[in-house]
Amino acid sequence: MSEQAIVGTNAPRVDVRDKATGQAQYAADIQLPGMLYGKVVRCWEHAHARVKRLDLSAAAASPGVVRVIGPKDVTAKRYNSSVLDLMVSESMHDMLGDIDDQPIFTEHVKFQGDAICGIIARSEEAAERAAAKVIVEYEPLPVYLTAEASRAPGAVQFTPEKPGNLAFQLPEAMFPNHALGGGDVEGAMRDADIVVEDAFYVPKQKQCQMEPHAYVAKVDSGGRLTCWTSSQMPKLVQRKLAKLFDLPMNLMKIVPTVIGGGFGTRLGMISEPQVCAMALAVPGHPVKLQTLREEDWVISPSRHPGKYWMRIGFKRDGTPLACDARFENYKGAYYLDASGTAFTAGAWLGGMYRFPALRYRGESYFTNQGLTGAYRGYGNPQTNFVLEQLIDRGCAELGADPVEWRKKWHKGVGDDGWCPGVTYPSCALDECLDRGAAAIGWTEKRRRYAKQEGTIRRGVGVAVMNHTSGAMPMLLEHTACTVKLNEDATAEVLFACSDMGQGSHTALKQIAAETLGFPFEHVQLSGGTSDVAGFDIGAHASRTIYVGGAAVKKACEEAKRQLFERASLQLGVPADELDIRDKRIFVKADPSRGIEAEAITRAGVYHFVDPMTGEPGGVPGQIQGYVSFFAPHNSPPFGASFAEVEVDTETGEVRVIELVNAHDIGRAINPAAVEGQLEGGIQQGLGFVLSEEMDYDAKGRVQNNSFTDYKMFGPEDMPKITTILVEDADPVGPFGAKSVGESGLVSPIGAVANAIFHAIGIQFTEAPITPEKVLKGILEKGVRDYASIRRR
Amino acid sequence: MKNRDITLHINGEEYRLNVAVNRTLLDVLRDELGMTETKYGCGTGECGACTVVVEGKAINSCLTLAATMDGKRIATVAGRADFGRLDHIQQAFVDEAAIQCGYCTPGMVMKTASLLATNPDPSEAEIRHALEGNICRCTGYEKIVKAVKKAAQTMPGRAVAVEPCKEVVQ
Repeated sequence: MSEQAIVGTNAPRVDVRDKATGQAQYAADIQLPGMLYGKVVRCWEHAHARVKRLDLSAAAASPGVVRVIGPKDVTAKRYNSSVLDLMVSESMHDMLGDIDDQPIFTEHVKFQGDAICGIIARSEEAAERAAAKVIVEYEPLPVYLTAEASRAPGAVQFTPEKPGNLAFQLPEAMFPNHALGGGDVEGAMRDADIVVEDAFYVPKQKQCQMEPHAYVAKVDSGGRLTCWTSSQMPKLVQRKLAKLFDLPMNLMKIVPTVIGGGFGTRLGMISEPQVCAMALAVPGHPVKLQTLREEDWVISPSRHPGKYWMRIGFKRDGTPLACDARFENYKGAYYLDASGTAFTAGAWLGGMYRFPALRYRGESYFTNQGLTGAYRGYGNPQTNFVLEQLIDRGCAELGADPVEWRKKWHKGVGDDGWCPGVTYPSCALDECLDRGAAAIGWTEKRRRYAKQEGTIRRGVGVAVMNHTSGAMPMLLEHTACTVKLNEDATAEVLFACSDMGQGSHTALKQIAAETLGFPFEHVQLSGGTSDVAGFDIGAHASRTIYVGGAAVKKACEEAKRQLFERASLQLGVPADELDIRDKRIFVKADPSRGIEAEAITRAGVYHFVDPMTGEPGGVPGQIQGYVSFFAPHNSPPFGASFAEVEVDTETGEVRVIELVNAHDIGRAINPAAVEGQLEGGIQQGLGFVLSEEMDYDAKGRVQNNSFTDYKMFGPEDMPKITTILVEDADPVGPFGAKSVGESGLVSPIGAVANAIFHAIGIQFTEAPITPEKVLKGILEKGVRDYASIRRR
Repeated sequence: MKNRDITLHINGEEYRLNVAVNRTLLDVLRDELGMTETKYGCGTGECGACTVVVEGKAINSCLTLAATMDGKRIATVAGRADFGRLDHIQQAFVDEAAIQCGYCTPGMVMKTASLLATNPDPSEAEIRHALEGNICRCTGYEKIVKAVKKAAQTMPGRAVAVEPCKEVVQ
């Protein structure tokens, strides 16, 4: 079609009426006949210990208890709750060294919250009372909270498969010297006129999705195990659970439930193995497992914290010569996602600027902190905090304007993106920088705030980012989609990828309606259970519109091709000379000649042969479009953020006054949904840089697993937000769309840090930049005018 | 555990119940009455997902013992829509794209209802202040604040068009 009527509009969200009225069914809302209630007994007092004695007898005798199961009552097989290992080839899997190291119930507690045993009872209250009667004796072990501690000689080994507690480092076979990049870094640093260098710390941020994890599982009389879960990767979870419990996949059914926010925490499994183990213990009865908020907080994976060292060399004219970096993350207790973030943090680094020489080393060390895994941005926030601050330090010392420097040296079309050899097909970062700078009043404010007096100082800062749309070629990007045309020329689209609340199903329906030439209201899109829907890798890497949307588009194009083929027989015109609008197929050269789509779809389904003549009434067969689609690219989106902050030099408080998020998203399928992603991203980015961090005591116990003690930006804390959608259609993405799901939170991080630098002339190497750290920095270094930093 | 006989008036209907005295209003709504539209988010009164309106005032149902609600009029989000027809607050949340994952929405809508009942024309600062006890992790609050403004402007019975909301002045 020449013009688009549905794509690019704020089509009404498909799920919001249910959500506005409370009818949407989240996992915890499910009620089934004969339902029992599960409770996982966890170790709360230790972060590292061996179970010396486990006595379940008193719990089993507790009123209302049906079964109590411990380590010996479940499979001895271990699992890896992440799904990364299924997204790479077997040879890549072996090279990365992914391992299965998680037991369903453990005898070696490796973090606070590790699962000890499970209670199945007739009510939640009965399960809780019984849980209190479980007797566990522990032998405490030394607690290692950092990489430095866990890799020390003599430290207790988390698993024999990973000596030295080094869970992962970039594999030598793919990355010589365990480093990503290339060029002569040491030589370039010697040639540099200015080298900026620092050691940073990046925090353990919690996703804080509003819906705590909940599940239902049941074994039916045919031996099929069904699990209702809000995982964002239902198909991979199906395969994981089938493997863990030795079931053929047809006997392992996943029913995806409405997702109450995820931000990465549902990327894989959390307590699915435990609830399924419980269901297997009481065949015929559904078992519901609800996680308390304080429990969810400690057991679900968070963002990788750790030490991030970097140095960058510049020539005096601003030319970047080399970047050298090392990210040692504190992985947590188990392996999951050990390879992913350690790699991607460097990948985003490599994708940003044209450094002739680059060396990035990424390592994951086991620690007795809670698990780390996927969190929106996946390594990018960590890199943004470090890289963008050092670039601004370089700009300050060089006397370069940070916007102009970035426009000159960021990578663009034709350069390698995050994966070497995969070049950027589109890049509108310059426009993001220009429009963002204009929106915040960059030039005037940079000048005005460079020299200030008084206790309240203001600053403006900028940061940029690149991300990805799906993770090919590193990870599998496969989506199957079926489009079925009903006899009245309405369409049913079947697609297994979950809508996490970002509005992806609405946007996908827009893509389907636009492609088919059907009204939006005449297309239905269903997620589908695992036994009905085709394969989909899941909602990760901001891929749902870029990869899933392309799959929906191709399946709809196939259905439309069949429709046009049949119309062509009726109209006597080649199919490629036809077009469709509002379900009427017509000849492009003569729109008065046409046929209603319904005449074709009805004749295909209600196909009769004339009993008098034997003549068939049209072409028989229901039209279905099907595609098993593999993404050919990863068209990265770009973003530029601008922040204005006010720093109170007497209290150390930082107030964000305005945040401008200008993003190159290719094409907005549903602009309001795109804005929603960028606005919500800002709230999480501000948390990373200013307020959010999981805090552990020396024994590895979480100190702030509540919304009171873990500070997120509330409605009164949020700054004025300006969202700018830069639409420069990507040549690969469906209707030119690139991703937006994760990227919104990334560059606000660097922008705020750089605005603080501009305000008081101090950079902070530890996130979040809390008032205590600001005050300490001011006391140690003194407030400086930004203008005085330039090296003469 | 002691039990107590109570009568609750929920969304205009009367319910006679015998509840254990340790049960919260949230437990009773969700587990005993199957009214799952009100959500559990934290159980400690920090997130507002369980907000319902009791006698015109928004409360956290997770912190309220059901036994103390005897004879009270309780409104949940399900009572606002008339067989699928959204009320002006729900419609405003839909129109302003203020709903993403939707888990905070029932509480947000009920908090908005109680705010507008006492302050039909709130400023942006007043809206933001009123929503402080309701956490949303998806939207950055931007579109939720717009939805509350719109709900105020579209409140049934408003005789005259109200002036645009007062903006926060920097």
